[in-house]
Amino acid sequence: MLKLIGAVMVIAASGLSGLAMAGNYARRPKELRSLRSALQILETEIAYSATCLPDAFMQVSGRCDKTSATLFSGAAAELSNMSGVTASEAWDKALEKYYPGTALKSGDLSILRNLGGSLGISDREDQIKHLRLAMEQISAETLAAEEEAARNVKLWSYLGFLGGLLVVLLLY
Amino acid sequence: MSFADLYQFTPRHCGPGALDGILPVLPGNIRSMVAALPHTAIDKIEEIRFRQGKPLILGLAGNEIFLTVEGRPTREAGEAYCVAPIDMERLIQLISNSSFYAIEEELKNGFITLPGGHRVGITGKAVLDGGKIRTLKYLSGCNIRLARAVTGAASSLLPYLLNNSRGDIFHTVLVSPPCCGKTTMLRDLIRQLSNGVPELGFSGLTLGVVDERSEIAGCYKGVPQLDVGLRTDVLDGCPKAEGMMMLLRSMSPRVIAVDEIGRGEDVGALEEVLNAGVKVLATAHGKNLAELAERPALGRIIRSKIIERFVILGRSRGVGTIEEIIDGRTMRSLGVKKC
Repeated sequence: MLKLIGAVMVIAASGLSGLAMAGNYARRPKELRSLRSALQILETEIAYSATCLPDAFMQVSGRCDKTSATLFSGAAAELSNMSGVTASEAWDKALEKYYPGTALKSGDLSILRNLGGSLGISDREDQIKHLRLAMEQISAETLAAEEEAARNVKLWSYLGFLGGLLVVLLLY
Repeated sequence: MSFADLYQFTPRHCGPGALDGILPVLPGNIRSMVAALPHTAIDKIEEIRFRQGKPLILGLAGNEIFLTVEGRPTREAGEAYCVAPIDMERLIQLISNSSFYAIEEELKNGFITLPGGHRVGITGKAVLDGGKIRTLKYLSGCNIRLARAVTGAASSLLPYLLNNSRGDIFHTVLVSPPCCGKTTMLRDLIRQLSNGVPELGFSGLTLGVVDERSEIAGCYKGVPQLDVGLRTDVLDGCPKAEGMMMLLRSMSPRVIAVDEIGRGEDVGALEEVLNAGVKVLATAHGKNLAELAERPALGRIIRSKIIERFVILGRSRGVGTIEEIIDGRTMRSLGVKKC
């Protein structure tokens, strides 16, 4: 009886971790798409109404998908407490808090970091160029992430359970 | 004037607290240097000048001091903290609220206004587009001028300007050289005329202000940051001549106030306002009336005897001294008690 309970637990544990891995692969394209549309909103704010950056971040965090909202609301909060931080410092701080909770890869992070380095320091046309560049890079990453997800989501969700089953069979 | 004097003497036109609005836009290292100054000195800061590679200069009530790295005031340029390129970069980011693209328009005029009405003059390299300034780049110089509204600055002047029998004011021009408190005086006149002065039995008037250089009301995002009274409409950043006509047509003011008239078109618009039965409150650069009369456009207005009061300001007893009040019809002094 005890053995049976143990076996169920092993299968459940490895199955769930497999599902978690699969979930990560499935989440990344979603998060990237959400980031892209958030940056699109930011571009509109900057290009058409020249909203100042703290306000623009607030606008974006209110209108974009929930998964990316924390990044923008975090950066807005850093900027509005007037502690003397620049936009890129505020953006980096917000990224540090946002990144660990996401399925994004370090490559995605460096796209966002690079964007942060140029936020708010140049004229409108230049800002638009930088935002477009980041959006394009994110789009490319999204495509790659989608392919990866298509391959890996099924794999990991089966692999977890099957691996658990294998362990149980070996030990039983 | 020695340093000891500097710390003891507090001019009446400077109030404490104005620096609180400025500190958040200073880069961290400079912020702590300025904040380390004694309070008596902080309360007197009128301007902070940044020039890349040159010493940071504080203007205190007509005096200039440098700061050492520790925030100690000094007169020796050798000991002074020099503004590093990174300081300029951070300063520009902070004063633009991290949104350089949002101040492009304002940069064309060479200054931006901060919350609190403080003005930051900016120099750099002008970028031209078809012969007109498109924007500035390589920003290398900044002058932060603290706006301090001085409540009651115009109280002693007011009785000479009110026309009690008609319940309004005389057409008035304030004349003074730069830095003699012209704008401060004008702002307080506007505030008192707009709110009304119960002690003088004067109820408030609707005022229109054309604030071409954002100095009178210190508007930030269109909202006056300095007290200009209850019945005051402000057209911010608008050319004076057009602004006066706009106000005249749209806001039915009883008084129109403008700063620094001088160009022909300003005077032309002013004449239009005078003819429309609206009272005029204006300032002009000049030491005295004779000097004013020599300038082509202003001379015409003086000779036409439309302006009823000329107020000459100076700094013989501190900034904002009223030197003389002249009746524009008779050209006689109204014998001001020196105040």
